[in-house]
Amino acid sequence: MLEAIGTGLAALLTPQAVLFMFIGVVYGLVIGILPGLGGVVAMALLLPFTYGFEKAATLALLLGAHIATIWGDSVTSILFSVPGSAKGLALCFDGYPMTKQGQAKRALAASATGALLGGLIGAVFLALCIPLIRPVILALGPSEYLMMALWGLTVIATFSQGSLMKGLIASLLGVLAAFIGMDVVTATPRFTFGSEFLMDGISFPVAMIGLFAVSEMMKLAIQGTPIVDRSLVTEVSTVWQGIKDALQHWWLVARSSLLGLWIGVLPGVGASVAGLAAYAQAVQTSKTPERFGKGAVEGVIAPDATMGANEGGGLMPTLAFGIPGGESMAILLVAFISLGIVPGPDMLTKHLDLVFSMVWIIVIANVLVTVIGLGITPWLARLPSLQANLMVPVVLSVCFVGAYATRGRIEDVLVATVFGVLGYLMDKYQYSRANFVIGMVLAVMIERNLHISLTLYGKDFLLQRPIALAMLAFVLLTAALPFLRNWRRNRKRGAA
Amino acid sequence: MSRRAQENLAAAALLAVFSGVIWLCQDFGPRARMIPLPLAVFGIVLTVIQILWQNLRSTEELHMDMISVQGPGAAATPGAGAGAAAKPGKRVTWRQEAGALGIVGALLGLILVTGIIPAVFLFTGGYFLMTRQYSWRASLIYTGVLTAVVYLLFVVALQIQPYHGLLAPLVEHF
Repeated sequence: MLEAIGTGLAALLTPQAVLFMFIGVVYGLVIGILPGLGGVVAMALLLPFTYGFEKAATLALLLGAHIATIWGDSVTSILFSVPGSAKGLALCFDGYPMTKQGQAKRALAASATGALLGGLIGAVFLALCIPLIRPVILALGPSEYLMMALWGLTVIATFSQGSLMKGLIASLLGVLAAFIGMDVVTATPRFTFGSEFLMDGISFPVAMIGLFAVSEMMKLAIQGTPIVDRSLVTEVSTVWQGIKDALQHWWLVARSSLLGLWIGVLPGVGASVAGLAAYAQAVQTSKTPERFGKGAVEGVIAPDATMGANEGGGLMPTLAFGIPGGESMAILLVAFISLGIVPGPDMLTKHLDLVFSMVWIIVIANVLVTVIGLGITPWLARLPSLQANLMVPVVLSVCFVGAYATRGRIEDVLVATVFGVLGYLMDKYQYSRANFVIGMVLAVMIERNLHISLTLYGKDFLLQRPIALAMLAFVLLTAALPFLRNWRRNRKRGAA
Repeated sequence: MSRRAQENLAAAALLAVFSGVIWLCQDFGPRARMIPLPLAVFGIVLTVIQILWQNLRSTEELHMDMISVQGPGAAATPGAGAGAAAKPGKRVTWRQEAGALGIVGALLGLILVTGIIPAVFLFTGGYFLMTRQYSWRASLIYTGVLTAVVYLLFVVALQIQPYHGLLAPLVEHF
């Protein structure tokens, strides 16, 4: 094994591999910052350029780009409340308030360091756990995935503080929006009104661009002042503060990383769910949950650590069984095939050096992203103080082009506009946009796994799947936690 | 229009959406409507309760509801939505909102008519000139730089085929 670790690293020290890693990371950062385009697009666009090069160099290019998009996504979420893709959503909740309070440097640095630590933990666990994870994955079926998705819904209470009723309505709307298009189970076109375009459903990135970016620019156009008015709020934080924050909250980073690793291991769950789950976990375990949503640095560290570790987790089923942990891992599988790599148990015996090359890529790419990220943070932190009259046309233009670029369909620009107006109205009347997106993300997973569970095990599937039953008990407990906390707080107030 | 009336209008629109979903679900098979139908019914129940609740409370408490999780201060969380319109001390007029909507509509219209890249140039340049933030020369430079960057990134680097707009056949004809 030690020999494989050494050989894996040596394969990445060739000039071609070093160059490809650097190109991949820089390219990934740019793609991550562009709205609507995330890791999947970054890897898909690189695929045609991967033929005929060294295996390790090709993987460095692909994985390096994918890893860099994670922090790229976080940048726009923190600075403008514009998530680059669905996985950057959780960063908006506390990152953006930090920017408004003149703590953009601290938030960006905490985010980069959190992602680095998460990535490192993910890589180490990937190396250690590959032989152990096989029975765990095989023990889980659709019923357990259904419970995982239901657990994701419990975060709704977290994002509905002050107005749970409206939060629930918003998430119901999100779920129903996700059902637009062809039903994957029965092949029934639902809510398409005969439109061929709607048969493909609403694209998540496009909906996100509308709900957050377009509506935020509408707000900015109304206010007419910069996101951060430097005459009122000065930048008071430093990059070093952010690094220290991430290191001081090491236990939160460790917990979030393990959560990200676990979600990554589960095929089809994805980093967007991971970020939201990490945020919810950070709120639920905090001694001062009321600080969240108002600029708590933990709300930035937890999602980034989770998403950093998620990549390591996603590689496990991809390498061990050839089952992609998410969309980006599916693209990696395509690259494997073109490189003549066959995922499966052989990867852990005959090609262990290649597995460790990937572990090293995760480590090196994360370090590279963090070094570049921390280096450019002081410049990035100045962006929110740009005049609204400059920001609005520039960001709106890039967002609409990004919406079009997602699927190359002009109708998506129209969808982004509709969701932009919807996002503005939801924000104005305090129907949580975050809950809407959570509903959208989890709806398909819930419906698909419920149908499969009913088909495989019948109506009493919970009784036949004890793990799922135990998970349901955990879900109910987590859902009741905010109410219990509120009841205790009210009782204390009453006693005082 | 009062805040309460606006909230009621928003809730009425939601009722219409949920009712529409129930109506549309009648055309689906039992499995296809297994989840959307009960959710829409649940949505109607929640919205009716919300309407009743918001009409029985004082205007100051409209951001709360009957199963609130935290105190009134928590309404400032981004998840719950703290729009510019809700900020105290800065009242947003319908003219401002219509202006913002017009900006988005103008860009959409330009994209549909002229195509993606010309729309970016026309919209950004027009916006700079109308707001008089910069001199016409600076506006032209900034607009040119942005359009070039968008073109290089999306069309050249990412090889995304741009949409040419409804005017494209007319331009090709001449």
